[in-house]
Amino acid sequence: MKAFDFKKYRKQIIAAVIIVAVCIILGVLKPGREALLSRTSPEMQKLIDADAGSSRKRVTVTYNSLLVISYASLSSSGANVMSERYVGFLGKVYRADEGAARIVGQMVNYTYRMLGCGENLMHGAKLTVLLTTLTVFFGVLLGTVLALGKISKRKLLAKISSAYIFFFRGTPLLIQMFVVYFTVPGIFGFAWRDLFPASDAEAVYKGAFTAALIAFALNSGAYCAEIVRSAIQSIDKGQFEAAKALGMSYGQTMTRIIIPQSIRRMIPNVSNEFIMILKDASLVFAISLMDITTISKNIMTSEGSYLVFIPALVIYLVITAFFGFLFDRIEKRFSVYE
Amino acid sequence: MSESYEYILKTEHVRKNFGSLEVLKDINLSVKKGEVICIIGPSGAGKSTFLRSLNQLEKITSGKIFIRDELFLHRENDHTVDRLPREKQQELLLEMGMVFQRFNLFPHKTVLQNVCEAPIVVKKEKKDVVEARARELLSRVGLSEKADEYPSRLSGGQQQRVAIARALAMNPEIMLFDEPTSALDPELVGDVLNVMKELAGSGMTMLCVTHEMGFARDVADRVLFMADGIIAEEGTPEEIFGNPKVERTRNFLKSVLEV
Repeated sequence: MKAFDFKKYRKQIIAAVIIVAVCIILGVLKPGREALLSRTSPEMQKLIDADAGSSRKRVTVTYNSLLVISYASLSSSGANVMSERYVGFLGKVYRADEGAARIVGQMVNYTYRMLGCGENLMHGAKLTVLLTTLTVFFGVLLGTVLALGKISKRKLLAKISSAYIFFFRGTPLLIQMFVVYFTVPGIFGFAWRDLFPASDAEAVYKGAFTAALIAFALNSGAYCAEIVRSAIQSIDKGQFEAAKALGMSYGQTMTRIIIPQSIRRMIPNVSNEFIMILKDASLVFAISLMDITTISKNIMTSEGSYLVFIPALVIYLVITAFFGFLFDRIEKRFSVYE
Repeated sequence: MSESYEYILKTEHVRKNFGSLEVLKDINLSVKKGEVICIIGPSGAGKSTFLRSLNQLEKITSGKIFIRDELFLHRENDHTVDRLPREKQQELLLEMGMVFQRFNLFPHKTVLQNVCEAPIVVKKEKKDVVEARARELLSRVGLSEKADEYPSRLSGGQQQRVAIARALAMNPEIMLFDEPTSALDPELVGDVLNVMKELAGSGMTMLCVTHEMGFARDVADRVLFMADGIIAEEGTPEEIFGNPKVERTRNFLKSVLEV
């Protein structure tokens, strides 16, 4: 395989460097938490000072920072309801209680929450990307085993693989996930969160994530099996014959000759499967996990903001574009010999 | 192996059906070590099928195949009646190298890797030993400077010579050639034939299905003319090309030589 061709991608590299440099500069210039909170009105400040001495907090302070822009909101409850919002950008702090500034502030806040910044790993975009990546990884492994089973000359093996694929493609993923999350522990008398130490504050999320990953991987395996099978069967018969004539066993032929050649042909379809899973990942809302979709829906219901879905779309699009590019690169890497 | 045998390869009453189509009707052939045999005949005569059933790419319907006088396989009505144990069969099959019409090189491996693959993987030979031998073979077929190229960068003729080197790397006793020059542009045929001539001159036992009548005339010890699933005529090149006795052979030779 050839090393990365820097010359060919000069423009892209220059563009990336400029973007990163600008982000770093803007990030350094971005006012921090202290700067935003120093603009607080005297009334609000009084409440904050009062809170410092008591156990009952009346002021909620939120601070979000997204690379180049920062946002703080203060809201008080009780007898004296007030709220103030500030956006920090390029060394300046702006009041963001109305108009465009308010929308910008909201977007920062929503994006921050949907990405899962500051939350545990099982929230937001981190959850979506982690679940999708692991699902496709295990799905392809399982799919390869199933595909080899399905094209195997052993009738029983072929039947089992076909039945598996039939079952997992013929039932909804949501119900498969319910079965893994509720039915299986119900029958065998355990709880998914018990797989993690009770002291772990995220045990519930990790347990649910494990269950979701198992269901997703089992489901994706069935789809990947068809991808792998069609890739294997697209390889010229002459390759099997040449390997056989050289004395290679079936296993050697598969692992050394056929599968390496079929990988490149799988990539476009695996890329497709990846994007499907990325979107199917929103089903995890049903087992208490919070992905981008669930969070945006929650913001919509609790805060009545109809704009929240726009950053949600942008986040999905950025993730899809990134992985699309990645799969494209991988495909090119695998086709050096053609 | 030092054991002595009369025929390196022998077939008795080999038949092969594809469904209701009888491709091979009764093929009897005995090959002595060092013999070069060319099989000619019209397309559809079963030449390739015969070659492919020798190294088990096709399962014969009935008949016997002997390798080194040992009964390698005996089948009747699509059922195996008798055969050598699998390991022994496998061992004997390694003595047969095969060159295909469409080369069938491994496109994801370099030329050198193509040649080294089977000796390393199948025979578990040491990598450096195999590589040295592979480079020698590549220079023998005139392609030492292409060792690190991928097959797609080579011409058809060069690919076919790599395929010959790849088969030779297993040190076979017999080489089977299945129309090795049929897929090549005319100007590339010569290089491949020269390699095959050199190989025949070195004492290799060879079975070639070919349409190159000049090559058959110059190199073969024996020429078989196959038509409709049988060996219609066999003899020395002088007999077949000089004085064919069977009408079908005469017609065939007339049509190929007069074009």
